Amino acid sequence: MSDYILELNNITKNFPGVKALDNANFKLKKKSIHALLGENGAGKSTLIKIITGVYNQNEGKLFLNNKEKSFSSPNEAMNAGISVVHQERNLIRRFSVGENLMLTNLPKNNLGLIDYNTVAKESKKWLDIMELDIDPNTIVSDLTVAKMQLCEIAKALSLESKILLLDEPTSSLSPQDTKNLFALLKRLVAEQDVSIVFVSHKLEEVFEICDEVTVLRDGKNACDSEQITNINRQKLVKLMIGRDEQIIKSKKDVDFIDENLLDLKSINTDLGHKNINLNLKKGEILGLYGLVGAGRTELIKCVLGLDKINSGQILLNNKEIKIKSPKDALEKYKIGYISEDRKKEGLILMHDVLSNAGITVWSNLKKILSFLNDSIVYNKVDPYVKQLEVKTPSYQQIVSNLSGGNQQKISVAKWLASGTDILFIDEPTVGIDIKTKSYLHELIIELSLKGTSIILITSDMPEMISLADRIITMKDFKVVGETINNHNYEEMSSSIMGNIHE
Amino acid sequence: MNNKIPNFVKTNQFGLLILVIVFICIFSFSTDGFTSRFNIYALSRVVALDIMIGLAMMVVILTGGLNLSLGALGVSAAMFGGWCMESMGIPISITIILVLAFGSFLGWINGFVTVRTGVHSFIVTLATMSIYFGFMTLLTEAEAFRKLPEAFTDFGSLKLFNKYISPLLIISVLTCFVLYYIFKYTDIGRKLIAAGANPDAAELSGISVDRMFIYCHMLSGFLAALAGIMLTARIGAAIPSMAGHLGFDWLLPAFLAPVLGGTLLSGGKVTVFGTMLGAILVTLINNGLYLIDVGEFWVRFFLGIILLGAVLLDRAREYFTVKNSIVS
Repeated sequence: MSDYILELNNITKNFPGVKALDNANFKLKKKSIHALLGENGAGKSTLIKIITGVYNQNEGKLFLNNKEKSFSSPNEAMNAGISVVHQERNLIRRFSVGENLMLTNLPKNNLGLIDYNTVAKESKKWLDIMELDIDPNTIVSDLTVAKMQLCEIAKALSLESKILLLDEPTSSLSPQDTKNLFALLKRLVAEQDVSIVFVSHKLEEVFEICDEVTVLRDGKNACDSEQITNINRQKLVKLMIGRDEQIIKSKKDVDFIDENLLDLKSINTDLGHKNINLNLKKGEILGLYGLVGAGRTELIKCVLGLDKINSGQILLNNKEIKIKSPKDALEKYKIGYISEDRKKEGLILMHDVLSNAGITVWSNLKKILSFLNDSIVYNKVDPYVKQLEVKTPSYQQIVSNLSGGNQQKISVAKWLASGTDILFIDEPTVGIDIKTKSYLHELIIELSLKGTSIILITSDMPEMISLADRIITMKDFKVVGETINNHNYEEMSSSIMGNIHE
Repeated sequence: MNNKIPNFVKTNQFGLLILVIVFICIFSFSTDGFTSRFNIYALSRVVALDIMIGLAMMVVILTGGLNLSLGALGVSAAMFGGWCMESMGIPISITIILVLAFGSFLGWINGFVTVRTGVHSFIVTLATMSIYFGFMTLLTEAEAFRKLPEAFTDFGSLKLFNKYISPLLIISVLTCFVLYYIFKYTDIGRKLIAAGANPDAAELSGISVDRMFIYCHMLSGFLAALAGIMLTARIGAAIPSMAGHLGFDWLLPAFLAPVLGGTLLSGGKVTVFGTMLGAILVTLINNGLYLIDVGEFWVRFFLGIILLGAVLLDRAREYFTVKNSIVS
């Protein structure tokens, strides 16, 4: 008999063309907090989906309380006491806290109507266990992000869950909220017999709260249920990326560039940006760092004319400009935007490679009477698609059939083809394999060396520190700090986090 | 594994073509007069209109929307044409230009309101359907224009190719080629499709999605007006009820043709010749069932069943696309 509440042995999961998990093991001890780590695409989310019954493994076995199990739906897993708290909130925002907590099992009165008194009483019980001071009748959308997160956990507890999977629970929390959350998690483990799987990119947190750690790399175990005390940060990073942490450095000295290309002057927007000032110099990579919800992507979208700027000025080469739409930005001012969400905003998944790569250049290529055929577009985009080494059987391939990395390359290629002077690049390597990631990093540096000015948004601190020349930190739709990047990870990250948590 | 099958065979159009041939065979053997010169000529006049109506709906389905005002719009434009020719004595050629411009304008209203309010075109065109038809009935006092120039009505009853084919069909087929050319070989056509497939991505790639959606609605109005003119020429008069109350008679063929033809209801995909084949199939079934003499209500019943079947096919297509996307 082992003291594991959950045990996954030799799990293999195949997707067409990809082995997402290859003989992976995962063992969760009773009453412990277990970190599950790995780069994007390493197989973490596949493993979680197998645990929660979204996927079934091709090979391998899953034991819950030493009994072999296989879940055919998330519901079954939930009934067996496994709950996930997702990064995206799964609460119904217009319902009250109580309704959300009791949603799957709403108490009814004799008339068959919902008994709101009992809803409040029952849900209060769970909120009390968590020492949460929230009125069950509060509407969820009135809560702070941190409280919503805690309500999600309360909801999981109310389902009598014994295993909680927390997916990046702190990505949008302040340090104080994070501290409270950790205290709560420790208490839950001690008092409520709960075991926790903790997924995070923040290694500091892992060392702070976890007992054991499992690292996945390319679908395999880089380490399997190691005691956290036997491991240090360097070792953990090496396990995750397969080599020592290596920082590609941008080699420019921006102090000497004083030619401002793009200036934002006291910009206030409809979305709530307050007095934003920033300038982008020629050939510079300007990093925009901040937590989720800091308003970085939103700022870029306002600059592109998608949301309204209420006051302030945008200067291009010291001349004031008004950008009405992304079309304006592209055609008049040669500004392009590589979206963070390539599936929704970056690509037209149902269309082929050629039309995706060429979409930004159609206007320039059209002949008389708006004539345009495939070979004209092909001649224009082919060099860029080749340069980026996009792996596709043909230009007629539907983009949704390509891997994430190749899709991202296409959404980059279309902007290279358009020949913009300024590129806004938003989270360029989310969900991208390591090889493509470093390739994209080199490309971004190369672009800037050739004179393209880049505003880089990324929440990946190492990426920011390796690429940016200067880093602007944003918080709550305001600029809270500016730092010249010296590419020293420890110094830079503490200075940036200092800016955020002041 | 099925690489040996030529690509054309796997397309929706091929399946339609087979169906068309099957139905032609069935009706040729089971009815008298299906292949008669008279019937084929009559078919060609009807199918011409169904193709045009189908195309008018297709270009709005491209945006992921609908145009319920299609029939009302077409009839309004046709009545406007009747008024131009009969009451104002405007020459035929100028009238046609005016009618097409008028149809495009009504389409522009649909598009403009849809884009500006962000309300689904289903609701917008439901409202404009009622508005256009009501206004038209008010202005014409529900009276028809029956004294149209002879040159105009003669064109509608002209018989070509050994008296088998109506010139109206030639107009529709030519329109298909023009639309195919626009979608395949022009910058604007590509942008229309891109905007329909993924408005967010298209907008961020520098396409003015709102403008593209308005163009689609204008094109729809243009084609519906053209259908209106053709119908007027065919029956020799502009009658307020010629497409049924509120133009309802046009709606079923309008949906059937593009959906059968392989146009995705969620937008972003057009099949011009598929729509043409779809319209042919609908007309065939309609005509064949009349010849078998099953009665009007059964015809409607069957067309309804076919529409449901076509929508299921649409779902299957989407599912297939999703499944396809996992396989790399």
